Amino acid sequence: MKLLKCPVNGVRPLSEFVFGGEVREMPDPNTCSDQEWAGYVHHRNGAPGMKKEWWYHGPSGTWFIAERDTMRDEVARTYLYGQEDKQ
Amino acid sequence: MTTARQQTPIAFAQQRLTPKMTVAHGMEIPLEFSSAEIEHKRKASLGICDVSCFPRFGVKGRNVVQWLKENKVEIPDPNSWVQQGDSLVLRLGNGEFLVEDQLEGKLCAALDGAVMPEAYGVYKIRRNDAALMLSGSHVRELFSEICAIDLRDGALLPGKLVMTQMAGISATVLRQKFNGEDVFRLWCDGTYSPYLWDTLLKIAEEFGGGAVGLSCHFKEMP
Repeated sequence: MKLLKCPVNGVRPLSEFVFGGEVREMPDPNTCSDQEWAGYVHHRNGAPGMKKEWWYHGPSGTWFIAERDTMRDEVARTYLYGQEDKQ
Repeated sequence: MTTARQQTPIAFAQQRLTPKMTVAHGMEIPLEFSSAEIEHKRKASLGICDVSCFPRFGVKGRNVVQWLKENKVEIPDPNSWVQQGDSLVLRLGNGEFLVEDQLEGKLCAALDGAVMPEAYGVYKIRRNDAALMLSGSHVRELFSEICAIDLRDGALLPGKLVMTQMAGISATVLRQKFNGEDVFRLWCDGTYSPYLWDTLLKIAEEFGGGAVGLSCHFKEMP
């Protein structure tokens, strides 16, 4: 059974979680170029490596961030948005 | 003209058991499924009681702790619960609370009527839970069949609650002393509850348990 640690509820089976995509910074649509905006909307980085991802714990409704090595499928750490330094 | 009466969310699954019904807090709910003798046997082995009729109040937000303190509600730690009079106060994660009144509790009505200024960072959550009370010597075996995490006494400590999946359904679970015996409380979304009820009942029957009505736990029910 694969396990993932929710920052609020602790270690749980992966079946309780939903993947929410990579954490991506949105450029300011008022000031960025069309090319930058199109890149943000349409392009994704598929290269494997250590990535920040959104994950959701269904039973408690908790969104959090997991830093995961997508090559090895190993999670380095998880934390709530904005609490990166506290972990 | 007749007035529509609220039904327990599990009503559909309970129909085939033809329970004797009562009305508590405006909701039709099973009072007895069978004779008192049979129900007490079930309760000792693995009894499943529908208590969805208890009033519930949900609230969350940035300032929820401060608002509840102002309304004289005890604040438990995250993922913990406290009993305040005849009401349970559950803290779901950090910033969300579920308050449930048992038969005599008045806390939900008080909070529902309390002043909640706009733009204060406090939001009511409409609750549509099915609520169950599980009792008996085989409850932990039932959990081991439908839940991936450890809910034995050493893992689910008194005062703690867990939000996890039971038979694939998101549920909140805690253990409480009720009338001197250990019981488990379980809340899940009402729309999934007929499925969960049927699943729990199938397992309970294997252990010689089954459905019990409100009168089995609450002697004061008419």
